[in-house]
Amino acid sequence: MAETPNVRLCLSNRAENVLLVRQTLSGLAETIGLSPVELNDVSTAVSEACNNVVLHAYGGGEGPLEVEIHASSPVLEVVVRDRGCGIQPRDVDHEEVAGGIGLPVIRALTQEVEFNDLGGAGTEVRMRFATAHPRTLELAGKELSPGAAARRDPPTAHGTLAFTVGPPALARAVLPRVLSALAARAHFSTDRISDTQLLADALLAHAEGSLDASCLSVDVELEPRSLELRIGPLRAGRSEAVLEEATLDGLGSVLERLSDGHEISREGASETLGLRLAEHR
Amino acid sequence: MPGTAVAASTPRTTPASTEDPRELFLRWQRHGDHAAREALVTCFMPLARSLARRYGRSSEPFEDLLQVASLGLLKAMDRYDVERGHPFQSFAVPTILGEMRRYFRDSGWAVHVPRGAQERALKVRDAQERIANERGRAPTANQLAEYLELDTEEVIDALQAIQAYETVSLDAPRPGAEGDAGAAYVDLIGGEDERYELVELDATVSSVLGHLPPRERLILKMRFVEDLTQTAIAERIGISQMQVSRLLRRSLDRLRALTHAPGEAL
Repeated sequence: MAETPNVRLCLSNRAENVLLVRQTLSGLAETIGLSPVELNDVSTAVSEACNNVVLHAYGGGEGPLEVEIHASSPVLEVVVRDRGCGIQPRDVDHEEVAGGIGLPVIRALTQEVEFNDLGGAGTEVRMRFATAHPRTLELAGKELSPGAAARRDPPTAHGTLAFTVGPPALARAVLPRVLSALAARAHFSTDRISDTQLLADALLAHAEGSLDASCLSVDVELEPRSLELRIGPLRAGRSEAVLEEATLDGLGSVLERLSDGHEISREGASETLGLRLAEHR
Repeated sequence: MPGTAVAASTPRTTPASTEDPRELFLRWQRHGDHAAREALVTCFMPLARSLARRYGRSSEPFEDLLQVASLGLLKAMDRYDVERGHPFQSFAVPTILGEMRRYFRDSGWAVHVPRGAQERALKVRDAQERIANERGRAPTANQLAEYLELDTEEVIDALQAIQAYETVSLDAPRPGAEGDAGAAYVDLIGGEDERYELVELDATVSSVLGHLPPRERLILKMRFVEDLTQTAIAERIGISQMQVSRLLRRSLDRLRALTHAPGEAL
């Protein structure tokens, strides 16, 4: 696979994570101009493929759910992958055996669908949608170094997820949505959910020019009443600069005011900026 | 051929799924047997229901969608060709989905925010306010979902919608609000503004903040200098927390644009 996806989401296959995939697709729809009907088609088909991973890929247990979105050509492609045994290509010919209506729904809503057995490394459903979206995205281009990607992958721990997203326009639409869904899950009040969105907006606006890669990597760790996100890779020394640039006269740094602490970690020539948000009550 | 022993009249009380659908299709399509048709509807209605729920998530009222899905089911039952040997489900799913898609297109869904989503956004806004007033603090998304008997996802979508669209007019009086709170937001803000016209704020007016209307400066100051919650700000000014949220977002966007505008003197 030569092409780097515009979005790669690495999640655990817990049922509530399918919502994050749908929030990501809503952000995508806004960015590339999918109509509500098209978004509904894409979102329904992708949810079915994800639900299959939730229910069947790990025999009822937990494991990785990976979603990739390619939106750099007129044909939108979404890949849903597991590291277990999701929809097997051999089942596909026997629809009654595959169970449920997930498969016929995916077939009905996609222009083309492939079911691939990754030879012991899992299974994937590759869906293509013939949508009439007016905009395509640039290729996401250079991702993280392969080592970093391997280390981050797969984050199956409870309340942890990782994603990469590019170009920045897509990140601006996706990140606030995903984070507010996570904030809601962490039992944040509507006040703090809104703060989380404001923080995501500010963070992206100021970090965009400091990225050390053409796509942004985000890790999120979730605990009850607390959410910690780390974004990178930023060029050396840029984390402090990002916090400072978010300073508004007389108001202080918006990022520091909205968060409950930050942490900068360095790794070679790159940095990761971590911000923690908590629900105060 | 199996299934020759099917009773002449289909008793309604017997679960239809125990009968061979193939036989029922033959009876309906070849002999116009309405009892068989009814049994098929009973048998496959869960399919229509399930598709309405999956495909219509968070959009139109469920009952409306179920009607459309049922219509699709009836069409599929008429057109299905038993002799081809495919299971009915794999034929019916695209037909039913096709019917719902057509409905979405015809109802202007492709260009407008769906009616259901708009109504829900208003409900969420009002419930947020009511709960915040009663309990003195903002509710969580789960509490809103419980209160409104919605999915948490529907609440999250509504919160997004309120942020994103101009569907909830800031100037519209809120239903159920009493006295002052029912007055339009614009009327209230001026009066409050004078009370909060503070010296520290004036000192910064020469900077980019001076480009914002006084009410937005005030909200920024309350949030970032006084560290008030959005709900506390909402209460002081007499608007909803969602409006505070939108105004904050808008002012921060504007300030960033001003700060980053090339050639803009700071």
